[in-house]
Amino acid sequence: MGNWERLVWNQRDVLFAGFAVTIEVCVIAFLSAVIGGLVLCLVRLYVAPLRFVAVVLIEFFRDTPIFVQLMWVAYVWPEVFGFPNDFFTAGWLALALQSSGYLAETFRAGIESLPRGQLEAAFSAGMSPVQTFRRVVIPQVVLSSAPSIVNQFTVIVKSSTLISVITVPDLMSQSQKLVNVWYEPIEILTATAALYILFVFLISLAGKLIADRVRQRFGLAAS
Amino acid sequence: MSDALKQSLDLSMFWEYRAILWQGLIFNVLVFQFAASVALSVGLGAALLRVNRFLPARIVGTLHVELFRNAPDYIMLVWVHFVLPLLIGLVIQRRVEFHPFISAVIALGFVYSGYFAEAFRAGIQTIPQGNLDAGRAFGMSERLILWRITLPQVVRRMLPEALNLFISLFKATTIVSLIAVPDLMYNVSMVIQQEMRPLPLYTGAALTYFLIIFALSSTARAFSERWRQKILA
Repeated sequence: MGNWERLVWNQRDVLFAGFAVTIEVCVIAFLSAVIGGLVLCLVRLYVAPLRFVAVVLIEFFRDTPIFVQLMWVAYVWPEVFGFPNDFFTAGWLALALQSSGYLAETFRAGIESLPRGQLEAAFSAGMSPVQTFRRVVIPQVVLSSAPSIVNQFTVIVKSSTLISVITVPDLMSQSQKLVNVWYEPIEILTATAALYILFVFLISLAGKLIADRVRQRFGLAAS
Repeated sequence: MSDALKQSLDLSMFWEYRAILWQGLIFNVLVFQFAASVALSVGLGAALLRVNRFLPARIVGTLHVELFRNAPDYIMLVWVHFVLPLLIGLVIQRRVEFHPFISAVIALGFVYSGYFAEAFRAGIQTIPQGNLDAGRAFGMSERLILWRITLPQVVRRMLPEALNLFISLFKATTIVSLIAVPDLMYNVSMVIQQEMRPLPLYTGAALTYFLIIFALSSTARAFSERWRQKILA
């Protein structure tokens, strides 16, 4: 147990600093992915001239491995597009791009599963397209796709371990720094792995509980 | 800026190194094949534990699934490569080291076994009890029932889900370059260190993976669509 205290407990500040960066990156990436996914989905469904562009972007984000995309965004984008200028931005941007592709398809499935009669009813009641979208479409899509949205957040957390490769000081990278200082990987890496697994487990548990409760409250069957 | 764009789209350098990059891609496929067999067999084992009548077996199966489904694959890869050999060494009192390829297969295989276990379990639970009772009435042993009645139906039902998992696993094989398995990404970074030209090489790698995975996933989607209609009919 002495090793655990010396290598893990006494280094908790370093590890928690990394954990804070992990959470920060994941939350920024997740929020951007939700917005990006919504925009991609709406363009694909309703903006006919740009539909092809949206489809290509969605497929490209979904079908490229996250590690390859991360390297591409971190090393090619700054030269070609002039941003991102630091690795922190590159990290969350790559995570957000990939997830926005997945979320766009989740939202599209939710929107397309709505019965057409609902939209016709809303229009004949005199609602504008924006009102229909806000009052009829969005609440139902959010409810039906809530489990996939939470799941996407856990995917982001898992993929975020890779941003340590481009030297963002997240939990993974802090724990590898400790390993390089002490040359004793057993306790540090095991503790880091346990922390990640617990974190992802708790998110999916909380997500499932919240999704079930909200769905029950609004009269939808629990997942 | 347009110069940089032109440079990153000029894939002649990527083409120039095609021999070594091709070798790397073969490593991706090899890691994928071995990890997929590990994931399928361990996943089936875990699923059978989860539907066992014996409570401790169910607990072990559930722990397995929750552990590996919630684990980031990169940390598992690092853990298997740097910690597992030390732990085995402590037990057998000898110095152990894993070849990076072995670590990659074990780590990815076990992580994906969690997902496959859930796919198997979902399939097993859709088999009507009457099928099993009928098998028993014919005097079939439990193992024979599993191989002749349960699994053939389970495999048919889980095929679309399994195809998606295989594609995710193939995407995940790109991270094995981080423990120095000479896959496509590893060779790309080696060439970049030599040539100092990341733009065309990373772009080429991204496009290569995109084309392969896009082809695989659109085929899988079309196939799953037809398959669902066929088994529902």
